[in-house]
Order: sequence, then structure tokens, then C-alpha cells
Amino acid sequence: MSKVVGIDLGTTNSLVAWVKDGVPQVIRDRQGDGLVPSVVSFEDEGTVHVGREAQRRLLTEAQRTVYSVKRFMGKGRDDVQDETRHFPFRIGGDGGVLRIGVGDREFTPPEISAFVLRELKHRAETFFAEQGEFDNEVDRAVITVPAYFNDAQRTATRDAGRIAGLEVLRIINEPTAASLAYGLDKRHAGIIAVYDLGGGTFDISILRVEDGVFQVLSTNGDTHLGGDDIDLLLMDLVLDGPRSPEAVQEIRKAAIQAKIDLSERDETTLQGRTVTRAEFEALIAPVVERTLAPCRQALADAGVESSSIDEVVLVGGSTRIPLVRRRVEELFGKKPHSELNPDEVVALGAAVQADILMTGNREMLLLDVTPLSLGIETMGGVTSKIIMRNSTIPATGSEMFTTAVDNQTAVDIHVLQGERELVADNRSLARFKLRGIPPMPAGLPRVRVQFQIDANGILSVTASELRTEIEQTVEVKPSYGLTDEQVEQMLLDSFENAEADFAARLVIEARNEAENVIHATEKSLRAPDIDQIEKEELAAGERKKIESVLAGLKMVLNSSDRETIQKWTQALNDTTRHLAEVMMNRSVQAALSGKNVNDM
Amino acid sequence: MPTTTPTLQACRHCGAGAPLDAHFCPQCTKILPLPRHADYFAFLGLTRKLNIDAADLEQRFRTLSRQFHPDYFYNATPAERRASLEQSSYLNDAYRTLRQPISRIEYLLKLEGMAPSGPAEAAKQVPPALLEEVFALNEELDEIRDLRNSGAPHEAWRPRLERARQPIEVKRIEHEQQLQTLSAQWDAGGGPDVLRALRDQFLERNYIHNLLDGIERELAQ
Repeated sequence: MSKVVGIDLGTTNSLVAWVKDGVPQVIRDRQGDGLVPSVVSFEDEGTVHVGREAQRRLLTEAQRTVYSVKRFMGKGRDDVQDETRHFPFRIGGDGGVLRIGVGDREFTPPEISAFVLRELKHRAETFFAEQGEFDNEVDRAVITVPAYFNDAQRTATRDAGRIAGLEVLRIINEPTAASLAYGLDKRHAGIIAVYDLGGGTFDISILRVEDGVFQVLSTNGDTHLGGDDIDLLLMDLVLDGPRSPEAVQEIRKAAIQAKIDLSERDETTLQGRTVTRAEFEALIAPVVERTLAPCRQALADAGVESSSIDEVVLVGGSTRIPLVRRRVEELFGKKPHSELNPDEVVALGAAVQADILMTGNREMLLLDVTPLSLGIETMGGVTSKIIMRNSTIPATGSEMFTTAVDNQTAVDIHVLQGERELVADNRSLARFKLRGIPPMPAGLPRVRVQFQIDANGILSVTASELRTEIEQTVEVKPSYGLTDEQVEQMLLDSFENAEADFAARLVIEARNEAENVIHATEKSLRAPDIDQIEKEELAAGERKKIESVLAGLKMVLNSSDRETIQKWTQALNDTTRHLAEVMMNRSVQAALSGKNVNDM
Repeated sequence: MPTTTPTLQACRHCGAGAPLDAHFCPQCTKILPLPRHADYFAFLGLTRKLNIDAADLEQRFRTLSRQFHPDYFYNATPAERRASLEQSSYLNDAYRTLRQPISRIEYLLKLEGMAPSGPAEAAKQVPPALLEEVFALNEELDEIRDLRNSGAPHEAWRPRLERARQPIEVKRIEHEQQLQTLSAQWDAGGGPDVLRALRDQFLERNYIHNLLDGIERELAQ
């Protein structure tokens, strides 16, 4: 039988996982890398690169390369005006779905995401083929989304799956997926807080776990808050004027590296500028503060005090930042869990959910909620709520409508999501036209419109006139989404975009490996005590040699000659072996003498 | 013409008769569609009582969730999948409604044909029993608003507001106690007069609740 996988479609990185013999595991490439950067790059003649290769092309072909597309899912152009300043690609589209322009082509965000999903599908199929699985086709998946995603964003994610040729079994929320992966039900019954700070989104979910049922009590968040915002703050430290898109991406890459460094060290350099951890923490404190108000709101909505939280779970790469951990620990008064890799835990949970759906295994059950209230527009531009936020899904709500003039046969309905009073302040989801109301005097028809939010958190609408029991047709015009026909067409188009051929893949794998070695070497060379190490432990000229081999590998990195790349990679590996040993010894000694490596 | 209420529903799968409050067919064990005249109490296996043990309700909710949830019907027929979606949506709506005492009372009133009618307009009418307090509060509020608009600091008007709220707060507590007493009377076999009293108290309590909420929202700005 074809295979079923769980996918974490992230802002920065995406992963695919599956369950083997009851144990969820991430599917990695041959180098053991589980992450596929959510970056897509387009060549002039039509070749599409995804992942590490696309990420590299950000530095050479920035304007043909798209990243952080998750921020644009289910959005209109006006929604993202003020955050496009550093993006190298064009943002266009007039009303409705926004479009991303690359060269002379235009893509909707679900189409870009579909490229990433296709890469994950390919990765999983390759893996299953290598495992000698009888049927290695992957055609069904559970895909995760931030808990605070609205209906339009969820639908866009499901559309992306369909465009990639995947049947989306279920859309589940990232924090809830993480709690499944932790298997907290086996060890505990109690109240859990899941704090999920990713590349572009923030979620907090409060759950009660009992009898294997993971019941979400409340959820809150911000779908525009994450590591990306921290990167921008660091970039602004050193960006001092207009630069080429490639130069901006070079700085962005360095900023991300500096951010990662500062989770392990007290200082680092960014484009020649020294940045201390204290300075970094002062810089990003406002971003971290912005996560705390949603946490308090979620606690209030769940009706629990922070002191009654039994477990705190950290999810998302940004929770590696020490300041984030400290703030979370202060708020909940508990040391948070971080045993599982925060980058991988969501994909693992998605795989567990996929397994539950396929096997009907009833050991665990996930009961999630809808993050935002659903309402309709009433007189005077006021929103009337029909399904309240934090209602367990699936959920229903209904509303009666009637006609305003004699023999009126259609009624317009505007559906919204959000907590605000006024229509203008909430998110417009769709406009519906109810048709086929039997002609009657005004006010006589009684049309009952039923809103159903399914287990994916996605809305559907049905209607019937109660006097005649005539079912009404509901014509949906999504405010920021694609129609079914558009999705079908995109699926057809995608077959024409042939995948990069096998040879090209091998080159890309060689580059990936080369990048790993380059990365490790550069990290060693940035160590605060490198000068001291050189003086005390390295042979004369050794550091210089490392630097020159490093430069050589970087030079051949973008060539399409696989053997050359591999030769230089091997050379750099050999040249740095001694340095790596020295550094390892020093950190072991430091650990033995009870001193932190950072203090040395 | 006398009408008879059906006591059985037909299973769409095997055609066997199943009790109206059953969730699965006793014959073929397939999930049954949601009956047209379901009610939240019966659905959860509860009698129409207003005092509900919270832990027991949670337990019923979890047990039924494990029976109906769409997760477990992924590979079932379209009819079963639809039934599972209907049943779990109804279960979630029932749980949400019965969990809170206030929405529970409102739901019972509706079931018993005593639905508080004309929602928006009726809620704005001052209940006669509260005229005196509301009048006093409004006078005080006007002065506080003037004070605030003239730029007086928070400390200058906040304590006054707290004092002005007090009599209304007292009324709220009285009403909630009264609702509890009436709920107990209903559970002990009370009739239509208890329901009518419940409805009146319920409407007044909502009025007070909205009033206090409105003040809080206005002054928080």
C-alpha cells in the first residue's frame, strides 16, 4: 500500500516523518539532514530548485528565489505591505490572493509551498525505495499549521498539498502535534502549555491530557511573529544603506548565523561588528515580550492559573534562544521540556496523527479548538459571532436569515473570523450568495444557514429554507483563496514543470555536504579562543592552509562538477581534522574542570 | 389528530430499529446518524437537571469523543463519515453548552419552550427590579466620565467607579445565588412556575452582566 507521512511545512524549514513499528521518525537525506529549507528558486529556462540549493541561490540569484512564503499563505497584497522591504522577490496581485513575481512568472503562495511539498514527497519516496518497500508512492499526508492560522491560511495549506499531488488527510495544529510527539499521555495526566516560536509564527496552546485524550483548552498566538523578526533586527544593526538583493541576503545569512552563535556563546561577530549576548538580548526583548500577552490570554481563556500548569513544552527553532527559555520559565514557573529536537517534534507528531488516521488506533485522541471566533456581517457593519473561539472542533453554528423585499430569491452573506466588534477589523473569509429561495413576501422565508467547522478547522456552509425544506445552493467566493478550478489547473500545470534530473540532484547533494563542512569550519574559525589555539596547538601555517582550502571549496561550490566539489570537500575535511580534534579536547577538558566553554 | 412520537430510528446500514438516544446500531454496531430531535442532555446520557457534576461531564465527553471522532472513521463509508462528523460536532456543542451553568440554564429554558425571546432589544430594557440601582449608577457614571474627560488621573476616578459598581455587584451575586436556588428547585421536580422564575432571573442577570462588562470596556480604553 502507498505510504502516508506527516509533514511540518515551516516558514524556514520543512520536514517529513513517518511511523515505523509504532515509532515516529524523521526521513533524512543521504547525508542525514532532516531539514528541507522552505526556499524555492527558479532558473530562467524553467528549472526549479528547492531546499539547500535554493538557499544557496539566495546569495547569487536573490531575485529569482523565494523564502518565508508561509507568511503570505491566505493573504492579500494589502496585508503584507509593510514587511516586504527586505524580500528580494516581487509581491503583486490586485485584490484577492497575492502573487509572487519571479522573472516573468507569477506564483500564488500555495504554488510555491507545493514545490516544497513535492520535494518532501520526493525525499520520502526515495527513502522508501531505498528501504526496499514494496510500494514507495507517497500520496497522502497530514500537514501541520500554526494553531492561530485562520480559515484562509488553512485552506491555502490544503490547496498547496493538493497542487503537490497529495491528499491532505488532515490539517493539524503545530503545538498539538508536538504534544502528541512527546507522548505526554503515557507519563502524565495534567495541564500542559506548548510554547511554539518558529521562523515566522508564534503559538501558545494550553491542553489537558487525560485517558490518552489531548484536549486543547485554549490557543492563542501571532501568525506574524518569529525568528524572521529577530533576523531583521540583527540585519538592521549592520545595514547602512541601499544594497543589492544578494548583498542583503549575505547579511541575512550572517545575521542568522550570529543569532545561532549567541545561543551558545557570549559574543560573536556580525559583518565585522562584535555583538554581545547582552546587546542581542536587549535588541530582541520586545519580540520576546510580544509572545507573553498571548500566553496570558490563553491561560485566562482556559480558566487556569499559570501555577497549575504541570508541563511546559518548547517547540520551534527560536526556543533555543536562552532569553526565550528564561522568559517562558519565569511565566510558567516551570523548567520547560526540550528533550526532543524543537525543529523535529512537530513533524513527528504529524506522523503520529497520520498513523492514527490510517490504523484507527484509539490509544490517543487529539481534540483541538478553533483559534478565532466565526461570525457574519450584520446591520451597520457589526460582526455577529456564531462560533466562539476556543470551541472544540468539529463544531457547528447556525443563523436564521430572511428576505427584505417581496419575491427576493437570493441573500448575500459575508463570513468573518476574528474577535473584534466591527466587520472592518476582522478577517473577511468569504462572501456567500444563497440562491433559490422560493418567491414569498418579504420577511416570510426562513433560511437556516448552518456553519460547520471540521476537524481541520476549515469552514463549510449549507443552507435550507425551513418552510419549504428547499436546500439552498451556497456559492462561495473566498476573499483570499483559490477556487477549486484554480487548484485543479495548478495541479495539471505542475506536471509540466519536470523535476530536476537525477544528475542535477547528485550535484546538489554534493553541494549540501560541502556546505556542512564549510559551515563547521567557519564556526571553528569564529571561536573566541581561536588565536590562542593557533598559538598553542596548531602547526605553523596550519590555520592559513585551512583558510585557503576553505576559500577553494567555496569557489567550486557553485560549479556543476560533482567530482570537483567532492574532491575539495574531502580536502577541507582532511585539513581541518586536527583542528577539530584540538577543539574537541579543549571542550572535554573544560567540561571536566567544570568550566563553561564560553568562559574560556 | 393525536400525534405519536417515534421511539425508534431505523439504522441506515442494516435497517434495524435503534433507540432514539443510541449512538450506534445495536444490531450491526455502525454509527447512527444524528437524530433530528436530539437534545444535549439526552445525548450525553443525562437527565434534564441543572446541577451537573463537572468531572462526570468531562468523563462522558471524553468517552463519547473516543467513540465518534472523525479520526476513527477515516476509512469508513461516506455515510458513516458524515454521521461521525455530525455526532462529534453535536457532542462538542453539547459539552460546551452544558459545561457553564449560565448557558446550561439558557439551553434548558429553550428546550422547555421558555426561550428568552427578542434578544437584542429586551436586553437593553432596564428590568423593573433594578431601576433604582441603575439610575443611581448612571448618574455617578456621568460624573466619572466628565472627570475622566477633563483629564483627571486614573487614581482620581477609579476608586469612585469601584464604589459606584458596588450596589450592582451585590445584585449580581444575589442573582447568581437565586439562580442556584431555583436550579435546585427545578432539579427537585419544579414545574413551569420555577422555569418562569428562572427565566426572569436569567434575563436580569444577563442585563447586569452586560452593564458591568460595558463599564469595564469603556473605562479600559
